[in-house]
Amino acid sequence: MRKKKQVSAIAASTKGDKVFDFLVNLFLVFMLVVIAVPMWSTITLSFRPNAYIGSNLQGMFLAPWKWSTAAYRALLGNDGFLMAFKNSFKILIGGVATSLFLTIPLAYVLSIQSLPGRRYLTILIIIPYIFNVGLIPTYLLVTKLGLIDKIMAVFLPGAVSTYNTLIMRSFFEGIPNELKESARIDGASEIRILVMIILPLSKAIIMTIGLFYGVGFWNDFFRAMLYLNSNKLQPLPILLRNILMASGMNEFVEISAFGDAPIEAIKAASVFMSAIPMIVAYPFIQKYFTKGTLLGSVKG
Amino acid sequence: MRKQMSTWLVLVTILALVVMPLFSQGAADKKASEGTTVIELWYGAAMTEAGPPPEDWVGFQIIKDKLNIDLKITALPSSEGDQDVKIQAAAAANNLPDLFMVRREVLARLVPQGLVAPVDDLYAKMPVRTANHYDEVSRRNAMFNGKSYGLSDPGAIIKNEGLLIRKDWLDNLGLAVPTTIEELFTVMRAFTFNDPDRNGKHDTWGYGSFEEIGSYEGWPGRRLQPIFGAFGAEGTWDMTEANAGLSVFKDGFYDAMVYLKRMVDEGVIDPNWMSYKKDDFRAAWKQGRFGIMREQNAAYAAQSNYAPFDQNFPDGQWIIIDPPKGPKGHASVGPYTANFRVYAISAKAAQAGKKDKIAELLEWMASDEGYYLLGWGVEGVNYTLDANGIPVAAGVPDPDYSFTGPKGQVVTQLRNMVFYNGDVELYARYPTYTTAVSKKQMSALDVLREMQTKKWTPAVGSNTLPTPNADLKRFYEQSLSEFITGKRTLNRANWNAWLEEFRKLGGQAWNDAGVASMKENNLLN
Repeated sequence: MRKKKQVSAIAASTKGDKVFDFLVNLFLVFMLVVIAVPMWSTITLSFRPNAYIGSNLQGMFLAPWKWSTAAYRALLGNDGFLMAFKNSFKILIGGVATSLFLTIPLAYVLSIQSLPGRRYLTILIIIPYIFNVGLIPTYLLVTKLGLIDKIMAVFLPGAVSTYNTLIMRSFFEGIPNELKESARIDGASEIRILVMIILPLSKAIIMTIGLFYGVGFWNDFFRAMLYLNSNKLQPLPILLRNILMASGMNEFVEISAFGDAPIEAIKAASVFMSAIPMIVAYPFIQKYFTKGTLLGSVKG
Repeated sequence: MRKQMSTWLVLVTILALVVMPLFSQGAADKKASEGTTVIELWYGAAMTEAGPPPEDWVGFQIIKDKLNIDLKITALPSSEGDQDVKIQAAAAANNLPDLFMVRREVLARLVPQGLVAPVDDLYAKMPVRTANHYDEVSRRNAMFNGKSYGLSDPGAIIKNEGLLIRKDWLDNLGLAVPTTIEELFTVMRAFTFNDPDRNGKHDTWGYGSFEEIGSYEGWPGRRLQPIFGAFGAEGTWDMTEANAGLSVFKDGFYDAMVYLKRMVDEGVIDPNWMSYKKDDFRAAWKQGRFGIMREQNAAYAAQSNYAPFDQNFPDGQWIIIDPPKGPKGHASVGPYTANFRVYAISAKAAQAGKKDKIAELLEWMASDEGYYLLGWGVEGVNYTLDANGIPVAAGVPDPDYSFTGPKGQVVTQLRNMVFYNGDVELYARYPTYTTAVSKKQMSALDVLREMQTKKWTPAVGSNTLPTPNADLKRFYEQSLSEFITGKRTLNRANWNAWLEEFRKLGGQAWNDAGVASMKENNLLN
């Protein structure tokens, strides 16, 4: 019976449907090429030996046995790069932990329908999202809090994102109220409800929002540039920017910070290496990602 | 249930207590020991992508022992825009460091706010440094209302570019070095159409360029200045007493535009010149795409930069030529100005009585001890002296720690505070070497010296003249491009009409402001 239905469904697909499918597939292939070509170009450039720098098509089709790992060896042998990587991880871990620690309770509180003044509280949170206070007041605040030249300065001012809070709130609102009600009848406090009932049901949204925060903190250049003075605290985006800005470097000196490796390859290798943690983390989080975003966004 | 929750809460609290100190890790305690002055310095790193000097760098201890100064250093971001943001944000919070590198434009905004201190009294307190670093021009560079608010140290080397031509291509085609603008055109045509590299393909062009536009090298930018120089229209500004003003208003500018249009129409300039970025341009000459270009001495002749060209064309040879003469005998590689790195002292530091200590520090940096330590590191560890007394990387026990090695170069991050383009620096910076494939003897210093002998146009201070607003700048650059690409027809009538429109849109006001500034600052030649 089921087989029959499937057959009739296939038979029912019209020529227009097929054309549409074809166009969709074509578009997806095009998008794949648009994304894959620069990525491949960056990877091959990072492995390109000095002799092939300046070659046609950026050496995209250079045979792998002609590749050189000089750029990666130079980067990994550079103390500054390793230090920056370590600092970025500190910011990533500290930032994601702090952000989730603050966002989850806030979103949960806002999701409680019976909360007095809930609407005004939401508006209060949305106002700074729409009307940003600007650079100087934030800088003054960070200075007054004594956070200048502290790693916390990179993630604390942006620890709670209104957008992420609202997505998470919507997700929490979607959890059946009966679960919370029954816990309340059993005498559970709101903290206990959050920790024991809501959080175990919210893995998807926590992973998703964690990823949002993580990507943001991993790539955050501006706050680090502004608030961190000590060279030993500089994270990867700062170093990456410095490497990418080093294009004209050889105009003035005979030496390179990365030995004999070509600067173009160094640039590409540093871009690729800085993306690796996100590339590695993404597949593990992806299964939660779609679910978390959709569930959080359809409720309003 | 309750037990589980309590466990959770305890765990989170412990985690927070353990982790927070890690993230509140910050700068070292700024409290100085008895009698020691803390000086906070924001410097422009010599190699921004290399790490900072290590915390146990011997220089910190020497400075503490000899000068009683606890030096805290911070490398400014690599791009000027980011530097400006960082400095201005700190200024807004009255949190400027004691001594900091700053662009003149930003300094001009800090002065009226009273955030920086005058430095006129410091020159006499730093006799050695003043003799090597600060002349009249440099003192004037950071002068506002008759007072000097910044120490303008020598920046990049001037007149360090030249017009280069492929000698091997000239020889292949039996052509002589061009000396006039028309001879140059003949050579460009031959390089484009007569297969100068003898590979049987039409894959070469006469001239290579890209749009590298600066405040004093307006459209079409630095790389085409030798062409505009032949018509007496080089640079954004004419800074002569008789013809002071924007070059675009000069007749020669129109003639240069006609010549450039001819280059484009006849296809003798690399057709990618308007889309090339600096790296593309440099990759292109290394691939042998064109045979004439204006290039910088080290970008051309430094070992790592020349290597790909040497590999691709072992028989290839570039030579530096005189800029071609135009119809009226005018010739110029382009305008040159003086480059400075400005260091300012915050008003806060001056109020705290740190000015004299800062002068002491800067003077020590200019002493032999400071100069060599900051410039090359420790003798025997980071460098050795050759027979001529020039610091060289050879002969150090561990090459990684030589001043050119990955671990050694971090100790020279402050070298821009002591370098003044003296002979020792230049010999050390540009050593003679033998190329890997063709076994040629090359020296970026010899190239520099030769480039500096060519005809340049003095335009000192032209980089400090008023700049147009963004709309006018866009109109100016876009319209000139359109004349060359054919979107606008280039003829005398259209040109005059465009000039009229440009004047009305603010070009005349820009011109007048520039001339007034030249007169006010005594910049006219």
